[in-house]
Amino acid sequence: MIPQNHFLILSAILFAIGIFGVLTRKNAIGILMSIELILNAANINLITFNKFQKTPDGLGQIFALFVIAIAAVSAVIGLALVISIYRNAKTILVTKINLMKW
Amino acid sequence: MSGLIHLLNSHGLTEDTIIKATFYGIAGLTVLFAFFVVIARNIFHSALSLAVVLIGVACAYLYLDTEFLATVQVLVYVGAIMTLFIFTIMLTADVHKKMSLKINPRVLLSAYAAALILIILIKIINAGPWLPEVKDAVPLDLAQLGRSLMTNYGLPFEVISLLSLAALVGAIVIGKTEKK
Repeated sequence: MIPQNHFLILSAILFAIGIFGVLTRKNAIGILMSIELILNAANINLITFNKFQKTPDGLGQIFALFVIAIAAVSAVIGLALVISIYRNAKTILVTKINLMKW
Repeated sequence: MSGLIHLLNSHGLTEDTIIKATFYGIAGLTVLFAFFVVIARNIFHSALSLAVVLIGVACAYLYLDTEFLATVQVLVYVGAIMTLFIFTIMLTADVHKKMSLKINPRVLLSAYAAALILIILIKIINAGPWLPEVKDAVPLDLAQLGRSLMTNYGLPFEVISLLSLAALVGAIVIGKTEKK
Protein backbone atom coordinates (compact mmCIF):
# COMPACT_ATOMS: atom_id res chain seq x y z
CA MET A 1 0.00 0.00 0.00
CA ILE A 2 0.93 3.65 -0.38
CA PRO A 3 2.39 5.04 2.85
CA GLN A 4 0.88 7.94 4.72
CA ASN A 5 3.82 10.27 4.03
CA HIS A 6 3.32 10.21 0.28
CA PHE A 7 -0.22 11.53 0.60
CA LEU A 8 1.03 14.23 2.94
CA ILE A 9 3.77 15.20 0.48
CA LEU A 10 1.24 15.40 -2.37
CA SER A 11 -0.83 17.70 -0.18
CA ALA A 12 2.22 19.82 0.70
CA ILE A 13 3.11 20.24 -2.98
CA LEU A 14 -0.44 21.33 -3.85
CA PHE A 15 -0.40 23.75 -0.90
CA ALA A 16 2.89 25.32 -2.00
CA ILE A 17 1.64 25.71 -5.59
CA GLY A 18 -1.52 27.35 -4.25
CA ILE A 19 0.52 29.79 -2.16
CA PHE A 20 2.60 30.64 -5.21
CA GLY A 21 -0.58 31.26 -7.20
CA VAL A 22 -2.11 33.51 -4.54
CA LEU A 23 1.08 35.58 -4.41
CA THR A 24 1.65 35.95 -8.16
CA ARG A 25 -1.75 36.01 -9.85
CA LYS A 26 -3.02 39.45 -10.78
CA ASN A 27 -6.42 38.23 -11.91
CA ALA A 28 -8.89 37.99 -9.03
CA ILE A 29 -10.37 34.78 -10.46
CA GLY A 30 -6.88 33.26 -10.57
CA ILE A 31 -6.43 34.06 -6.89
CA LEU A 32 -9.75 32.35 -6.07
CA MET A 33 -8.67 29.27 -8.04
CA SER A 34 -5.39 29.13 -6.11
CA ILE A 35 -7.38 29.28 -2.87
CA GLU A 36 -9.36 26.26 -4.06
CA LEU A 37 -6.04 24.43 -4.54
CA ILE A 38 -5.04 25.25 -0.95
CA LEU A 39 -8.39 24.01 0.41
CA ASN A 40 -8.00 20.76 -1.53
CA ALA A 41 -4.54 20.26 -0.03
CA ALA A 42 -6.06 20.64 3.44
CA ASN A 43 -8.76 18.12 2.55
CA ILE A 44 -6.22 15.51 1.44
CA ASN A 45 -4.48 15.89 4.80
CA LEU A 46 -7.72 15.48 6.75
CA ILE A 47 -8.70 12.32 4.89
CA THR A 48 -5.19 10.88 5.08
CA PHE A 49 -5.19 11.17 8.86
CA ASN A 50 -8.72 9.80 8.90
CA LYS A 51 -7.49 6.64 7.19
CA PHE A 52 -4.12 6.10 8.84
CA GLN A 53 -4.85 7.17 12.40
CA LYS A 54 -7.53 6.18 14.86
CA THR A 55 -10.34 8.72 14.56
CA PRO A 56 -13.71 8.57 16.30
CA ASP A 57 -16.58 7.91 13.87
CA GLY A 58 -15.05 9.34 10.73
CA LEU A 59 -14.15 12.76 12.12
CA GLY A 60 -11.76 13.44 9.24
CA GLN A 61 -14.38 12.68 6.60
CA ILE A 62 -16.94 14.94 8.26
CA PHE A 63 -14.41 17.74 8.55
CA ALA A 64 -13.56 17.34 4.88
CA LEU A 65 -17.27 17.52 3.99
CA PHE A 66 -17.60 20.78 5.92
CA VAL A 67 -14.47 22.14 4.23
CA ILE A 68 -15.96 21.34 0.81
CA ALA A 69 -19.20 23.10 1.78
CA ILE A 70 -17.35 26.19 3.01
CA ALA A 71 -15.16 26.19 -0.12
CA ALA A 72 -18.30 26.23 -2.25
CA VAL A 73 -19.75 29.11 -0.20
CA SER A 74 -16.52 31.11 -0.40
CA ALA A 75 -16.27 30.57 -4.16
CA VAL A 76 -19.87 31.77 -4.64
CA ILE A 77 -19.35 34.92 -2.59
CA GLY A 78 -15.92 35.60 -4.11
CA LEU A 79 -17.18 35.30 -7.67
CA ALA A 80 -20.22 37.49 -6.92
CA LEU A 81 -17.80 40.12 -5.59
CA VAL A 82 -15.63 39.75 -8.70
CA ILE A 83 -18.63 40.37 -10.96
CA SER A 84 -19.70 43.35 -8.86
CA ILE A 85 -16.18 44.81 -8.98
CA TYR A 86 -16.00 44.24 -12.72
CA ARG A 87 -19.25 46.13 -13.16
CA ASN A 88 -17.95 49.10 -11.21
CA ALA A 89 -14.26 49.22 -12.06
CA LYS A 90 -14.29 47.55 -15.53
CA THR A 91 -11.32 45.39 -14.53
CA ILE A 92 -10.60 42.42 -12.30
CA LEU A 93 -6.85 42.87 -12.06
CA VAL A 94 -6.18 43.29 -8.35
CA THR A 95 -3.32 45.70 -9.10
CA LYS A 96 -5.70 48.06 -10.91
CA ILE A 97 -8.58 48.02 -8.42
CA ASN A 98 -8.31 51.10 -6.26
CA LEU A 99 -11.93 52.08 -5.64
CA MET A 100 -11.41 52.20 -1.89
CA LYS A 101 -8.13 54.07 -2.10
CA TRP A 102 -8.51 57.57 -0.77
CA MET B 1 -10.65 -7.79 -15.89
CA SER B 2 -9.23 -10.87 -14.16
CA GLY B 3 -7.80 -11.95 -17.49
CA LEU B 4 -6.00 -8.60 -17.76
CA ILE B 5 -4.63 -8.96 -14.24
CA HIS B 6 -3.51 -12.50 -15.08
CA LEU B 7 -1.76 -11.24 -18.21
CA LEU B 8 0.01 -8.53 -16.23
CA ASN B 9 0.94 -11.06 -13.53
CA SER B 10 2.57 -13.27 -16.12
CA HIS B 11 4.81 -10.31 -17.01
CA GLY B 12 6.01 -10.03 -13.43
CA LEU B 13 3.61 -7.25 -12.39
CA THR B 14 1.72 -7.84 -9.17
CA GLU B 15 -1.49 -6.07 -8.28
CA ASP B 16 0.38 -4.00 -5.72
CA THR B 17 2.80 -2.57 -8.29
CA ILE B 18 -0.10 -1.69 -10.58
CA ILE B 19 -1.89 0.14 -7.76
CA LYS B 20 1.29 2.02 -6.88
CA ALA B 21 2.08 2.89 -10.49
CA THR B 22 -1.41 4.30 -11.09
CA PHE B 23 -1.31 6.30 -7.87
CA TYR B 24 2.04 7.92 -8.62
CA GLY B 25 0.99 8.55 -12.19
CA ILE B 26 -2.20 10.29 -11.10
CA ALA B 27 -0.35 12.24 -8.40
CA GLY B 28 2.28 13.41 -10.90
CA LEU B 29 -0.41 14.48 -13.35
CA THR B 30 -2.25 16.34 -10.58
CA VAL B 31 0.88 18.28 -9.61
CA LEU B 32 1.66 19.04 -13.26
CA PHE B 33 -1.80 20.46 -13.88
CA ALA B 34 -1.69 22.35 -10.58
CA PHE B 35 1.43 24.07 -11.90
CA PHE B 36 -0.47 24.83 -15.06
CA VAL B 37 -3.28 26.43 -13.00
CA VAL B 38 -0.91 29.03 -11.56
CA ILE B 39 1.31 29.69 -14.59
CA ALA B 40 -1.11 29.42 -17.53
CA ARG B 41 -1.22 32.65 -19.50
CA ASN B 42 -4.86 32.28 -20.45
CA ILE B 43 -7.19 32.29 -17.43
CA PHE B 44 -9.61 29.98 -19.23
CA HIS B 45 -6.91 27.32 -19.67
CA SER B 46 -6.04 27.60 -16.02
CA ALA B 47 -9.70 26.98 -15.10
CA LEU B 48 -9.76 23.83 -17.24
CA SER B 49 -6.51 22.61 -15.61
CA LEU B 50 -8.11 23.22 -12.22
CA ALA B 51 -10.86 20.77 -13.22
CA VAL B 52 -8.19 18.13 -13.95
CA VAL B 53 -6.53 18.81 -10.59
CA LEU B 54 -9.86 18.40 -8.78
CA ILE B 55 -10.50 15.06 -10.51
CA GLY B 56 -6.98 13.95 -9.55
CA VAL B 57 -7.66 14.85 -5.93
CA ALA B 58 -10.90 12.82 -6.14
CA CYS B 59 -8.77 9.85 -7.29
CA ALA B 60 -6.54 10.36 -4.25
CA TYR B 61 -9.69 10.19 -2.09
CA LEU B 62 -10.49 6.85 -3.72
CA TYR B 63 -7.06 5.55 -2.69
CA LEU B 64 -7.93 6.62 0.86
CA ASP B 65 -11.12 4.49 0.91
CA THR B 66 -13.50 7.44 0.96
CA GLU B 67 -15.69 6.83 -2.06
CA PHE B 68 -18.42 9.15 -0.79
CA LEU B 69 -16.07 12.12 -0.58
CA ALA B 70 -14.69 11.37 -4.05
CA THR B 71 -18.26 11.51 -5.37
CA VAL B 72 -18.97 14.74 -3.51
CA GLN B 73 -15.71 16.20 -4.79
CA VAL B 74 -16.62 15.51 -8.41
CA LEU B 75 -20.24 16.66 -7.97
CA VAL B 76 -19.59 19.84 -6.01
CA TYR B 77 -16.20 20.95 -7.29
CA VAL B 78 -16.09 19.78 -10.88
CA GLY B 79 -19.83 20.03 -11.38
CA ALA B 80 -20.80 23.22 -9.59
CA ILE B 81 -17.78 25.32 -8.68
CA MET B 82 -16.00 24.87 -12.02
CA THR B 83 -19.15 25.89 -13.89
CA LEU B 84 -19.32 28.98 -11.72
CA PHE B 85 -15.66 29.81 -12.41
CA ILE B 86 -16.06 29.37 -16.15
CA PHE B 87 -19.21 31.50 -16.22
CA THR B 88 -17.48 34.24 -14.26
CA ILE B 89 -14.49 34.15 -16.61
CA MET B 90 -16.81 34.49 -19.58
CA LEU B 91 -18.69 37.37 -17.92
CA THR B 92 -15.62 39.34 -16.90
CA ALA B 93 -12.17 38.60 -18.25
CA ASP B 94 -11.33 38.96 -21.90
CA VAL B 95 -10.77 35.30 -22.74
CA HIS B 96 -8.61 36.03 -25.77
CA LYS B 97 -6.32 38.40 -23.95
CA LYS B 98 -3.18 36.66 -22.80
CA MET B 99 -2.06 37.38 -19.28
CA SER B 100 1.70 37.22 -19.48
CA LEU B 101 3.53 35.99 -16.42
CA LYS B 102 6.66 38.09 -16.52
CA ILE B 103 9.63 37.01 -14.48
CA ASN B 104 9.98 39.99 -12.20
CA PRO B 105 11.37 40.23 -8.65
CA ARG B 106 7.89 39.80 -7.18
CA VAL B 107 7.35 36.47 -8.94
CA LEU B 108 10.83 35.27 -7.99
CA LEU B 109 10.26 36.22 -4.36
CA SER B 110 6.92 34.38 -4.35
CA ALA B 111 8.58 31.32 -5.88
CA TYR B 112 11.26 31.41 -3.18
CA ALA B 113 8.59 31.70 -0.48
CA ALA B 114 6.54 28.81 -1.89
CA ALA B 115 9.64 26.62 -2.30
CA LEU B 116 10.69 27.41 1.27
CA ILE B 117 7.25 26.45 2.59
CA LEU B 118 7.37 23.22 0.57
CA ILE B 119 10.85 22.29 1.85
CA ILE B 120 9.90 23.00 5.46
CA LEU B 121 6.68 20.97 5.14
CA ILE B 122 8.45 17.99 3.56
CA LYS B 123 11.16 18.09 6.24
CA ILE B 124 8.49 18.12 8.95
CA ILE B 125 6.56 15.28 7.29
CA ASN B 126 9.66 13.12 7.03
CA ALA B 127 11.06 13.98 10.45
CA GLY B 128 8.02 13.88 12.68
CA PRO B 129 7.35 10.69 14.61
CA TRP B 130 3.77 10.03 13.59
CA LEU B 131 1.50 7.82 15.57
CA PRO B 132 1.72 4.28 14.22
CA GLU B 133 -0.39 3.73 11.14
CA VAL B 134 -3.53 1.70 11.64
CA LYS B 135 -3.01 -1.18 9.23
CA ASP B 136 -6.38 -2.89 9.04
CA ALA B 137 -8.70 0.05 9.52
CA VAL B 138 -12.28 -0.63 8.48
CA PRO B 139 -13.46 2.19 6.22
CA LEU B 140 -16.52 3.99 7.49
CA ASP B 141 -19.58 3.15 5.44
CA LEU B 142 -22.07 5.69 4.22
CA ALA B 143 -24.80 4.78 6.73
CA GLN B 144 -22.44 5.35 9.68
CA LEU B 145 -21.29 8.64 8.17
CA GLY B 146 -24.86 9.86 7.80
CA ARG B 147 -25.74 8.76 11.30
CA SER B 148 -22.87 10.65 12.87
CA LEU B 149 -23.72 13.72 10.77
CA MET B 150 -27.23 13.64 12.20
CA THR B 151 -26.31 12.89 15.81
CA ASN B 152 -22.85 13.95 17.02
CA TYR B 153 -22.26 16.61 14.40
CA GLY B 154 -25.84 17.82 14.06
CA LEU B 155 -25.17 21.36 15.23
CA PRO B 156 -22.27 22.05 12.81
CA PHE B 157 -24.40 20.57 10.04
CA GLU B 158 -27.21 23.01 10.77
CA VAL B 159 -24.76 25.90 11.00
CA ILE B 160 -23.40 24.96 7.56
CA SER B 161 -26.91 25.00 6.11
CA LEU B 162 -27.52 28.43 7.63
CA LEU B 163 -24.21 29.61 6.15
CA SER B 164 -25.23 28.30 2.72
CA LEU B 165 -28.53 30.16 2.94
CA ALA B 166 -26.77 33.38 3.93
CA ALA B 167 -24.30 32.95 1.06
CA LEU B 168 -27.16 32.35 -1.38
CA VAL B 169 -28.93 35.54 -0.38
CA GLY B 170 -25.66 37.47 -0.16
CA ALA B 171 -24.50 36.42 -3.61
CA ILE B 172 -27.81 37.56 -5.13
CA VAL B 173 -27.65 40.90 -3.33
CA ILE B 174 -24.02 41.51 -4.29
CA GLY B 175 -24.43 40.36 -7.87
CA LYS B 176 -27.66 42.10 -8.85
CA THR B 177 -27.69 45.31 -10.82
CA GLU B 178 -29.00 48.39 -9.12
CA LYS B 179 -32.00 50.08 -10.65
CA LYS B 180 -31.31 53.61 -11.66
